Amino acid sequence: MKKLLSLQLPVILLVLALFNSCAKEYSGSGWNTPKEDYNLLINFTPVVDTLKLSFDSTYKNYFDEPYKVSAFKFYICQFDLINTDSNKVYNVNKDKYFLIDAADSTTWKVKLSAVPFRYNRISFTIGVDSARNVSGAQTGALDPAKGMFWTWNSGYIMAKLEGTSPLSNQPNGKFEYHIGGFKGIENAVRKPLLLFPFGVYSEITPNTKSIISVNANVNAWFYNPHDLKIEENPVVTTPGVLARSVSENYSKMFTVTAVKNE
Amino acid sequence: MKKKLFTILVLCVGAIAWMQVNSCKKKDIKTGPTAVAFTTPPGFPAPPFNFTNNPLTQEAVSLGRRLFYDGQLSKDGNFPCSSCHQQFAAFATFDHDLSHGFNNQFTTRNSPGIFNLAWHTELHWDGGINHLELQPLAPITAPNEMAEDIGTVINKLKADSKYPAQFKAAFGTEEINSQRMLKALAQFMVTMVSANSKYDKVRNGQGTFTGTEQAGYTIFQNKCAACHKEPLLTDLSYRNNGMDLHPFLLDYGRMRITNKKEDSLKFKVPSLRNVMLTFPYMHDGRFYSIDQVLNHYATGIISSPTLDPLLANKIVLTTTERTQLKAFLNTLTDSVFIADKRFAQPQ
Repeated sequence: MKKLLSLQLPVILLVLALFNSCAKEYSGSGWNTPKEDYNLLINFTPVVDTLKLSFDSTYKNYFDEPYKVSAFKFYICQFDLINTDSNKVYNVNKDKYFLIDAADSTTWKVKLSAVPFRYNRISFTIGVDSARNVSGAQTGALDPAKGMFWTWNSGYIMAKLEGTSPLSNQPNGKFEYHIGGFKGIENAVRKPLLLFPFGVYSEITPNTKSIISVNANVNAWFYNPHDLKIEENPVVTTPGVLARSVSENYSKMFTVTAVKNE
Repeated sequence: MKKKLFTILVLCVGAIAWMQVNSCKKKDIKTGPTAVAFTTPPGFPAPPFNFTNNPLTQEAVSLGRRLFYDGQLSKDGNFPCSSCHQQFAAFATFDHDLSHGFNNQFTTRNSPGIFNLAWHTELHWDGGINHLELQPLAPITAPNEMAEDIGTVINKLKADSKYPAQFKAAFGTEEINSQRMLKALAQFMVTMVSANSKYDKVRNGQGTFTGTEQAGYTIFQNKCAACHKEPLLTDLSYRNNGMDLHPFLLDYGRMRITNKKEDSLKFKVPSLRNVMLTFPYMHDGRFYSIDQVLNHYATGIISSPTLDPLLANKIVLTTTERTQLKAFLNTLTDSVFIADKRFAQPQ
């Protein structure tokens, strides 16, 4: 028995050493449930006016043009949380980019970590900051494999809306709006300010988080301040004055519908 | 017997101690990639390429080289970068006005030589690409070139057993993504420096021109060097050199990028380094010989609102001057560069 033990002991020690020596590098699932690393959730819902967007439905824009949507995506980043009572502005997750894709509901939830405070406005950039357009190969949400990058005229497509309409003169009635451009007057980067419903605040404390629900309305693309008729302009796929106009339209597509603190 | 057991115990304890000491010290042990220094040739300006964001390493350069020669970057496997960028033609396409792409298609512009890209902040004949790392995206995805989708390229590389280890060696983990692929390709391309021609040797005091070459050099300095600026032999600007709009290609050059009418028909000034290897000439490869180019500058210039002012009075050379100038242009061939094994197809 003694003999057996003295043989086993080193083996056990050896095995233990093998398993333990790098324990601190182990970060897989099971041992520690990771602490939630966000306290602010922005929950985007793609809509057409008041209806939740469906790729199977036909909608009408301000000019009564019928259309169907086949793709709707946009980049957002550089979030500012604002309290107008105390004029405080907190910039959160400065360098993080999110690609909201109507076809993939897992991308609709944007998780951020904010300074615990009471907020009544939110602002964020729609698009990709000029620096990221000129500093070489990016990754994550900005991976060019996401199909939101112009390869022949370097730069990101900031927002994309594609679909069909009987009023388009293009093959199969396609319409395609790929909006981008970051230089000078072509700059299509927008930063709208979103108000909360009257009397509603986002309250973030060390123990509670806040959920802000935001609708993104496709119909905003076609109207105000610039008229965009599918019949006249079914294709906008290069930076320029027209693309910038569309970006001014869609910068108004967001509405905060609810704020929940829990 | 006891002695034997004791030995085993000692060995085990020793092994455990050794493991405890070493197993968590990965960062202290030099196992990462080997840095490569970028050497600026004598007389060249400092390169604007940002090496801090993409530090050169042997492993990444070697990965970039493999990718450059890998047909998997194209849809049908037949069009690696090297299909249009051939080393013996200073990485232009030898003897082709336009190159060949996927499914029997032509490209729309003449393939430029690849060398000294560390000095280029914009690429393409129209300067549409603003970073060397982004350059490969254009030919890979163009339907008439490599015609492939970036996501598909990455999946093909992931499925190829030779790549994970190379990515790990270059970037620390086996992860393969477009950023790593593009950074590796940029590293390989940025190392492709051509500065070993006879012209360079003369500049560095290691050689002398013949009388004819020297006369040609003087003509070059007087009549060509304003645009083909030394030592890169391009000033990297965009200019309209008086060629008419191609009736089929309808290529307006720089204007397509800037949307400015003053950029109509402007194209990037190409380097004259290795010029004897990179024929045909001009953005659409319309001239097959230097003589045709010189004829154009003497008698073929089309006047238009954006014509470069330096060409307003044409460039007329006598027959003797032409011979001398061509003798000088011959000294721009870098035979070391086109035979450099570091840039050749990996075995």
